[in-house]
This record gives sequence, C-alpha cells and structure tokens, in this order.
Amino acid sequence: MARLLVQLKLRLVLNALRSSAAAETSFILSTFFAFVVAVGGFYVLSLFRGLSASVDLTTVIFTMFALGWLVLPIFAFGLDGTLDPATVALYPLRTRSLAAGLLAASAAGAWPAANLIGLLGVTVGLASGALGLVVAIVAVVLQVLFCITLARLVTTSMARLLRSRRGKDLAAFLFIPIFALIELLGQVIPNAAAGGGITAASFAGVDAWMRWLPPGLAAHAIQDASDGHPGTALARLALLAAVIVALAWLWVRSLGRALVTADTSSGSSQLRGTALPLARYGLRGTVAARFWIYQRREPISLVYWVMTAVFMVVVSASTILGPHQHPAVVIASAVVGAGLVGYFRGNSVGLTGPPFIIEALALTSRRSLRAYFAGQDIAIGVIAAPLLTAISFGLAAAVRNLNQAVPATAVALAGLGAALGLANILTVTFAYPMVTRAGSPMRQAAQGYGSHTFGGVLATLAGVAVAVTPVILAAAFTGTAPAAIRAPALIVCSAAYGLALAWAGVQIAARQAQDRLPELCQTAIQSTV
Amino acid sequence: MSDLAIAVRGLRKSFGTKEAVAGIDLEIAAGSLAGLVGPNGAGKTTTLSMMTGLLRPDSGRVVLNGLDVWADPPAAKAVIGVVPDQARLFERLSGQEMLEYAGRLRSLPAAEARARAAQLLDVLDLTADARRLVADYSTGMRKKTMLGCALIHNPSVLFLDEPLEGVDPISADVIRRLLTRFTGSGSTVLFSSHVMELVEQICDHVSIIDKGKIVATGTTQEVRGGKTLQQAFIDLVGPRARGEEGLSWLGSSSS
Repeated sequence: MARLLVQLKLRLVLNALRSSAAAETSFILSTFFAFVVAVGGFYVLSLFRGLSASVDLTTVIFTMFALGWLVLPIFAFGLDGTLDPATVALYPLRTRSLAAGLLAASAAGAWPAANLIGLLGVTVGLASGALGLVVAIVAVVLQVLFCITLARLVTTSMARLLRSRRGKDLAAFLFIPIFALIELLGQVIPNAAAGGGITAASFAGVDAWMRWLPPGLAAHAIQDASDGHPGTALARLALLAAVIVALAWLWVRSLGRALVTADTSSGSSQLRGTALPLARYGLRGTVAARFWIYQRREPISLVYWVMTAVFMVVVSASTILGPHQHPAVVIASAVVGAGLVGYFRGNSVGLTGPPFIIEALALTSRRSLRAYFAGQDIAIGVIAAPLLTAISFGLAAAVRNLNQAVPATAVALAGLGAALGLANILTVTFAYPMVTRAGSPMRQAAQGYGSHTFGGVLATLAGVAVAVTPVILAAAFTGTAPAAIRAPALIVCSAAYGLALAWAGVQIAARQAQDRLPELCQTAIQSTV
Repeated sequence: MSDLAIAVRGLRKSFGTKEAVAGIDLEIAAGSLAGLVGPNGAGKTTTLSMMTGLLRPDSGRVVLNGLDVWADPPAAKAVIGVVPDQARLFERLSGQEMLEYAGRLRSLPAAEARARAAQLLDVLDLTADARRLVADYSTGMRKKTMLGCALIHNPSVLFLDEPLEGVDPISADVIRRLLTRFTGSGSTVLFSSHVMELVEQICDHVSIIDKGKIVATGTTQEVRGGKTLQQAFIDLVGPRARGEEGLSWLGSSSS
C-alpha cells in the first residue's frame, strides 16, 4: 500500500508537470525553491554555532518549519490528491495500511527532502561531540516525522471543511498572515537588522515557551546532549516520540472516521439581512451594493485590502526602522496604495467571472454601463479613501513627521481617483480570464495571460504616478503656506481632482464597453470563481 | 408583433478551423415551448449564446419578437431571459439578494424587485434557503435560482441551456410546471436538452441539431414521425455505440 500511494503521488506530480507549460514552470520553480530551502536552511542553522542564543534561534526555526507543515497542506489540499481521504474512500482498504501508505506519500517529494536536509544544519550549528551529533540526527528525523504526522492529522480532520466553500475561505484568510510574515522576513527584519535594531542576541529567551513544544523539545535535546546531559536529551526525545505516537493515533482514528463521512456537506448558516442595501438608489446603487457585499463576504477581496495596506507599510519600512530618514517616502506609500487598489480592480470582468453574464444581459445602454462602472467605484472608494487616509496618517506618525500626512493623503485621494478610472478602462480594453487553481486561494490570470497581470500592475502604478504629479508639485510649492489653509485646500482640491479622473474613467469605459460586451462575456465565461 | 418569436437565418460561428455552427435557420412561433436537442458538441450552447447576444456570430441574423439581436442588442436583451448551461450566479449573495439584484439590474423598482423575488423564491421552493449564500446551494437550487433571475423581469422569450441537468425530480417538476405556465400566457421558451423524454413530454416544437446544423425541425409530432423522439433522434444523428467484444469479462462475478 505504501509503495502504491508513493507511486500515486509521484504520478500526480508528473501528470501535473505535463499538463501545461505553466505547470512545468511552476514545478521547476517549486523544486528550485525546495533546493534553496534545503541549502539555505542548512547554511542558516550552521551559522548559529557559538552564538549565545543558538538553541533559541534553532527552536524558532524548527517551530517555523512545523508551522509551514501545519498551514501549507491546507493550500495544497486540492492539489495533492493523497491529502483528501475521499479519494481513497471508495476502495476496500484497511485503515492502518492506508495510514502507513499516506504517511509514506507525505514523506515523498522535494519539499520533505528539503526539510530534512535543511534541518540537518543543526549538526554543524548546535551539536557538538559524538553524542550530540547522533542526537541531532535522531532529533531532526523525529522533527520531520512530527511535522508530517501533524500535517496529516490536520488535513484529515479538516477534510470535510477543506472540501467545502468555507474551507476555501479559510485558505484565503490564511494567506493574510503568511503574506504578512513573508513581507516581515523579507523586508522589515532585514531593514531593521541593517539599521542595527535587531541582532542575534535579541532572540535570547524567545523560546521561553516554545521550548516545551515538540520542535523545541527536538532543539533542546540536541543542546542537552552537546552539553553533556544525555539523560535530559533522551527524556526530551522520548517525550517528542510520545507526542508523535499520540498524533499518529489521533490521525488513524480521524482517518477511520473520514473514510465513512467523506462526502457530507459542511452546512451553512443563514444571513441576517434580507434586502439588498442601496437598491433603491437606481442601477448605480444596486451595483454598488453588490460590490460592497463582495468586499465584505469574499475572502479574496479582504486579502486584497490587507495586501494593499501591507505594501504601503513595507514601502515606508526602511525609513520607519532603518538608519536613514526619508519622510517623503510616505507619499510613495500613498502612490503604491492607490495604484494597488486600481490594479486589484483592474480586471473586474475576469474577477467577476461567469456571473458577469447576468449583468451583461441587463447592461443595455451607455447610461446603464456608466451606472455600472460608477457603482463599482462607489463601493471601492468608500473603503479605499478612509483606509488610504488612515494609513497615510499612521505612516507619517511612524516616520515621526506628521507634516507629511496631508500631502500623502492628498496624493492618496487623487491617486485613488486615477486608479479607479484606469481600472475601469483596463477592465474593458485589457480584459483577460482569471482562474482559480487548486493549491492557491488567489485568482490568477488564465494560461497565456500572465503578461496581462504584469502589464496591469505597470500601467496602473505608472498611470497613478503620472496623475498625482500635479498634487505633489502643489504640495511642494505650498509648503510655506499656513497649515490651516493649506491642509483643507490641498485635500479638497486633490479629492475633487481624483473624482474628476474617476468620472473620466467611467465615461471612457462605458463608451468602450458598449461595443465590446460580447467579447467581455466570453472573457467572463472563460474565467472560474 | 410578429407571429414568430424567434427567427434565425444563416447563423454561423467558427473557432479557429472548427466550425461550431454551420449555418442555422430556425423559426419558432410565439407562445411555443420549443426544444433544441442534439448530441454533445453539436453546437447547442454556441447557438443559444449567439441567439442571446452573448457571442458574436461570424454571420447570420437573429430576430426575437421583431428585434434584431445583433443590430440592436439593447432592445433585444430587454425582452429575453437566459438560463445558461452552468449556473452563473454571484456566490456571495444570498438567494434573496441574488434575485433582487437581477430584478434591479433589469430596472424594476426596488420594492417591486423585492416582492417579485419573494414570490419567485416561494414558487421555486427556495424560501427556506433565501438567506443562505448561493455558494452553499445544491445544483438544483442553483438552477432554480438562475431560472428566477431569468424570469424576474417577465421576459417574452426565455432561453434555457440544459435546464434540468443535475436537477432532482422534485426540482425538475417545479421547473417544468413553471415553464408550462409561462408559455401558457403567450411567452416563448426555447431550451436545449439531452433528455428526449422530457422534450417529448412538454415541447410542442422540436429542432434537432448535429454538427452545427439543424437536421430536423417542426412540431414534436412531425419530428417524431410515429416513433419515439429518442428513436427519431438516433435515426437522424446516427448510432455512436462501439463494439463491446473487448468486455467479455464484464458481468462475471469473479474479478
């Protein structure tokens, strides 16, 4: 059984690889990143040798690997057929032999190997002496086994949920902390470290409670063995092994249940409101209501808003945490924030997907098309304007220069108008199908349209940057004017300018869309939601 | 108003080198409940998409109640309702919100849209689930919601693409009764289906499409020609069964 399921997993990987050029590229990239994690993990862990906080840092890294195993299978649920018990529920298989097979399937592949090789960096960074080395190897094997068992238990016990709409929502929501963590590790911490704000010693004691978690037990067992405390080391390893056995027992039980409850629905709850809000305000209000509801109920919309906020913070991170002060970077954050709001809305037909047909059948005149695009702008604008304003003020406070708050807000409001205008025009002239692929909660450009995504980002950011130039110049030339006059004048004029740009976008998009509705419908039909 | 609700002349569409619709001529009288049947890939969905203004034809003309779909799309769209092959609904709206949204898109006043939505939900047996997200609906519930969206503005011509596929018998019966009632008031229905028994049972007009062409059209009696519609269909389209000699092991109790 183990051999068969390992073969099945390898076959699934190979078939995915052959399915398209995009899948092939994705596989090559994934394998490359696994290689980077193996080599990088080994290298980073080996660097801890001799550091006062080496065991603390090792515990943090072991815990992060475990967290990765906990979360990533939730994304890969639809991608790896061996993760879903429903795929094998039809066959007459005994639970125990199936469990052994599924465990072996989990251990097969580039990422488990990368995990094992990367963590073996502790043999250089933390272990010393023959006993330390032996315990390090055993601890790493147990850590990997713990990760695999934990991942299996989570996906099996959550299988019903993950198969449902709510499970897909959960995966989308999980994208938010993962994205924030990636930005933190890739941008914020390196900037802080470059400024001397964070050193290796800063991590001393961070494992105060982590040391009692299974990854901490593994790391501290290596430390104990290397320090000449074999009894404590063995006790920690025994405790870790006991945790793995307990998890495996829970998993086998969960698997047994999942095999006979594979296809039940997760149910759903009733919504509170009954009426479509704003519906009494004509077509514009009706469309605004639909988009407003989607901003609240669709996880991907929430993810887009969080990504916009995180990117705005990241742009200013070097000045907030680094040694150099560039207060005007807050304005750059405003441009990026406005540009991203436009980019994330810049292909609304592809994002809406097949339901756009319902709207297209009713959009019978240029006037109705104007109302349609204006309604979208209202829904996005009422969220984006206060959000960009609040972040601009927050960032100005974080860079300790509140004088930048007003010009940044003015730029954000003008930029938002430009972004919405561009988004509507791009939606009509540059529409492309968007698809949801297994393994990713985010919607992506359909195969062959990857360059449209890149072009959309570039066009929106460049367009917003050009459009806000007059506002930046106005802010610069009025720097010496009394703040009580300058601030409201700058913000009101910029908001009016932004509204004019958005209005122009609505007019142009409506005129273009009138002749292109059948083509837009085909783009919508090719999309998946 | 013309007696013809649907008049199609020389409709053609190719995708690359494949000719999906190869010159279709079709006439459906007002008040008919007409069926468009054909094997998979015959061109049913492509034809219906072109008839409803969703796919631009390479050539040909579609006139609905005297309105040329491709000369004046807004006017034609205003009088039709469409239920596509796959339920294309806003998953994050509740059933009630979905129908109300469809009504408002069709310029119904807010109160009227809400009232009609409630009535349709009741007739379609969806009232108990009206506040649930469409994303959590079953296939049959989606089809019924889609039908409600297509009917809420009281169109004079209704197009349905495989309306009963994946629908349970009770929901199918609800849809069937609603369509019969709809045409009883003088409106016209054209729907595509694989289910010959259903077409034979409720349609007064049948067209058979194969390889992008209409191979037979007329009243159900004329097309049947004294046989069952299923048999008439097979005779016209040709049997597609393959030899089964290679399955000698099938049916034995041993593996």
